[in-house]
Amino acid sequence: MDLTRREFLAATGAGVGAAAVRLRSARAFEDPTLRRTIEAALDTAKKRGASYADVRVVRLRHERITAREDHLTEAAQTESYGLGVRALKGGAWGFAATAMVIEEEARRVAELAVSIAATHAKLRREPVTLAPAPAVRDVWQTPLSKNPFKIALAEKVDLLLHVNAEALKVPGAKYVRSWSHAIGEWKIFASTDGSWIEQSITRLGPGYEVTAVDAKSGEFEKREHDLPPMQAGWEHVTGSSFATDARRVAEEAVEKLRAPSVEPGRRDLILAPNNLWLTIHESVGHPTELDRALGYEANFAGTSFATIDKLHKYIYASKIVTLYADKTTPGGLATCAYDDDGVATQRWDLVDAGRFVGYQTTREQAAWIGEKASRGCSYGEGFAAFPFQRMPNVSLAPGRKDLDANDLIAATQDGIYIVGRGSWSIDQQRYNFQFSGQMFYEVKRGKIRRALRDVAYQSSSPEFWRSCDLIGGPKSFELHGSLYDGKGEPPQSNPVSHGCPPARFKKVNILNISRRKRPA
Amino acid sequence: MAGVMDRGRAEAVVRAAVDRGRRAGAEVVATFSGGREAHARFARSEITSTGDVTNATLHVTCALGRRHGTFASNQTSDRSIERAVALAVELARLSPEDPEWLPPLPAQRYATVAGRDAATGAVGADARAAAVEAALSAARSADLEAAGFIEHADRFVTVATSGGLAAHYDLTEASFSSTLRTRDGGGSGWASARSYRAKDVDASAVAKVASQKAAASREAKALDPGRYTVVLEPEAVANLLQVFMGSMDARPADEGRSFFTRPGGGNKVGEKLFPAWMTLRSDPQDAQAPASPFDQDGLPLKPTTWVDKGTLKGLVHGRYWASKAGKAPTGTPSSVLLEGGSGSTEDLIKRVKRGLLVTRFWYIRHLDPQTMLVTGLTRDGLFLIEDGRVTAPVRNFRFNESPAAMLANAETAGSPVTLRAGASGWRIPPLLAHEFHMASPSDAV
Repeated sequence: MDLTRREFLAATGAGVGAAAVRLRSARAFEDPTLRRTIEAALDTAKKRGASYADVRVVRLRHERITAREDHLTEAAQTESYGLGVRALKGGAWGFAATAMVIEEEARRVAELAVSIAATHAKLRREPVTLAPAPAVRDVWQTPLSKNPFKIALAEKVDLLLHVNAEALKVPGAKYVRSWSHAIGEWKIFASTDGSWIEQSITRLGPGYEVTAVDAKSGEFEKREHDLPPMQAGWEHVTGSSFATDARRVAEEAVEKLRAPSVEPGRRDLILAPNNLWLTIHESVGHPTELDRALGYEANFAGTSFATIDKLHKYIYASKIVTLYADKTTPGGLATCAYDDDGVATQRWDLVDAGRFVGYQTTREQAAWIGEKASRGCSYGEGFAAFPFQRMPNVSLAPGRKDLDANDLIAATQDGIYIVGRGSWSIDQQRYNFQFSGQMFYEVKRGKIRRALRDVAYQSSSPEFWRSCDLIGGPKSFELHGSLYDGKGEPPQSNPVSHGCPPARFKKVNILNISRRKRPA
Repeated sequence: MAGVMDRGRAEAVVRAAVDRGRRAGAEVVATFSGGREAHARFARSEITSTGDVTNATLHVTCALGRRHGTFASNQTSDRSIERAVALAVELARLSPEDPEWLPPLPAQRYATVAGRDAATGAVGADARAAAVEAALSAARSADLEAAGFIEHADRFVTVATSGGLAAHYDLTEASFSSTLRTRDGGGSGWASARSYRAKDVDASAVAKVASQKAAASREAKALDPGRYTVVLEPEAVANLLQVFMGSMDARPADEGRSFFTRPGGGNKVGEKLFPAWMTLRSDPQDAQAPASPFDQDGLPLKPTTWVDKGTLKGLVHGRYWASKAGKAPTGTPSSVLLEGGSGSTEDLIKRVKRGLLVTRFWYIRHLDPQTMLVTGLTRDGLFLIEDGRVTAPVRNFRFNESPAAMLANAETAGSPVTLRAGASGWRIPPLLAHEFHMASPSDAV
């Protein structure tokens, strides 16, 4: 049985435990062969001395369809299937995985995981300890009406070619690339604590990008569509303006190419939700990962300015700003009922009325900051990846007044309004960031005056969030996100959403990033 | 010596896929690749996670005329291969024609590349634990916190097509990287080593360099943003060269949307864009940095000179664009060799009156493809050079700079060192460049 979006909202709105929407009576983990295979791994790990072990059997499916101009360039499906075992022995983790989901292999990799753990245990200063989590038996899946993997290829191809044709009707629009990307993640989690959990998660990431070219000058500009990736069925695409926006998006590419270059300087900055989400991701989502804050990512993704001595003390943002983590957000790319530690997902604050109040944690991490339970943020990408702390959906709470982007523009004397995701970069402790966008508009005396190009904004995370003085209301709240957030060694990708209304930030450093030779 | 996957078994898998596809009336490209990857990760001066994974994926592309579809799976039993081919054929049948489709390649001749070291394939968890202990020991003796990553991989790639092509490459990879930080968080140093041979990767030596950088980067002073003469260590050069290599596709250049587009039409091949000392080429057979001798379709990757003494000699051509442009296809290069200088990073530092020494860059993103302008940050060791020697640690900067401009402004380079080997092979020198734009200060350490 599939749920409608309304049913899902009703279920998740009830709170933490209720986020687990029970959908099916048939449970894959009750299949005798699969169950025996998983039990073989858990039993082997225990017999070899593991104090804890878990098994994830994961099938990951991707469908990528891409088109350029008038033709399809790729129709591809990939899938991986296998079994990964994580085991604790001597206070250290061992992990091993196999693509052969059979008892013999399950025993082999369980033994290997325990053996690796034992080999490395002497390199622990303190043993890994896991916060308690109740054993659960449950099944959950993405509420959806139309499974994208069951939609005819022709329907998707026709949509992409239609978008391309419409975009290319706009004079000056020369190239267009469109794509549909669907991801199906089905997994069983079982642990020596007694949990058996089956989840099936469907995510979609369609999009297109139009390039306008001025052959004479050799200049060009791109404009990417803003439809967010979502945990949803194909109805997310057909119920959107994805197709009807094609001409507008192409027109905006041309408009940007002809637009004047921005004058740099400090200006008020209004960010549309389809731009602000990525700024939240980089300047709030990553700094509040507890493993980063403590140095666990020092060799790759980096550390964080939001160190544990600042918890409950540090003023992260202005008083109107509340930022929360939520792995139960309907449609959120990181939403699920249980994380890859088997912990029920939840919502909690990271920044409350400007004050830094929370971290993202797993069972291993909770005790590091004196918390008794995990926040449920463990995730491993596929069967072959070691699950570790990954970002939940992190969102900016809407303001009380029912303001939208037009109201923010109307309230601004001299500013820049930015729409869509552009270039993004931030330092390894999450202070200095520089972001761009898709479209940039000059705001003068409460009105949009004209489009601009070559715009980026640069700031430091706390300085930026402390300058926030206007936030849109609940009706202007939108959920955006990314299917590919990278972290860890070997690197893993985590899908994550960020919701926000538009917001205004005072006197932000606006850059002109052009190196083109200007006409004299 | 055989790799992690018996070559006969790997070839049987791709042949089975090709044979089944042909029986269904399709043209076929089958690529089977994967292997074993084992690693250990450490942070806060203790081991944090470990792994040992064996996995391989079969990609099957089937074409019916100009209609094509691809199905890939890591399940390769006879039944799974049959299913993969059936699904690829079905995707092809349902797809519209692709006017750019080219039939699979016929049999090719490949250079022999010795990219696999048997001993590396046999490295076990004990050796990784010992390497980690070496870094932890270096950290302890200098009162620093250590984080890092060690990995050994034993991989293969096998390709077959319905045109008669058969390609196979075995490779190994070994890497060790470490970041050492002062306990107060005020200093950070990074170093790494990579090779296709585990014996070339010296964890103690890496940790020692990271330790020295961490200790030397304490109490860094803030300098004003601006244009600086820089000595880029090989890793920093590679960080920017990656952007450069990714921009070398001929098609967007010819289509008018690349740095390599010539205003008014065409591309910049033949123009002297870079200093005369500089040569950029590819050779998968390089002894220190062996790299795959073919791409995912089995196209041979031949020795190629991209930039010869500063003049752009060629751009990357895929098969379709090469056929349109009347050029030989190059494929995407697996090997990157930047040459023309000699000496060490220290030798370059001696030439600088006032400038910055950069260990590596971080979070590089495009700002403007037309000028190849990117932004990013310095990280884990930025130092002031005065009168030919390093005199002080400097707080990190965000830069806004074009890798093409950086190369154009490069006065000279040192001797190349191996930064990657196995699947791709990179030998990159340290480099001395002028007018590098440090755009804004970063408080990050």
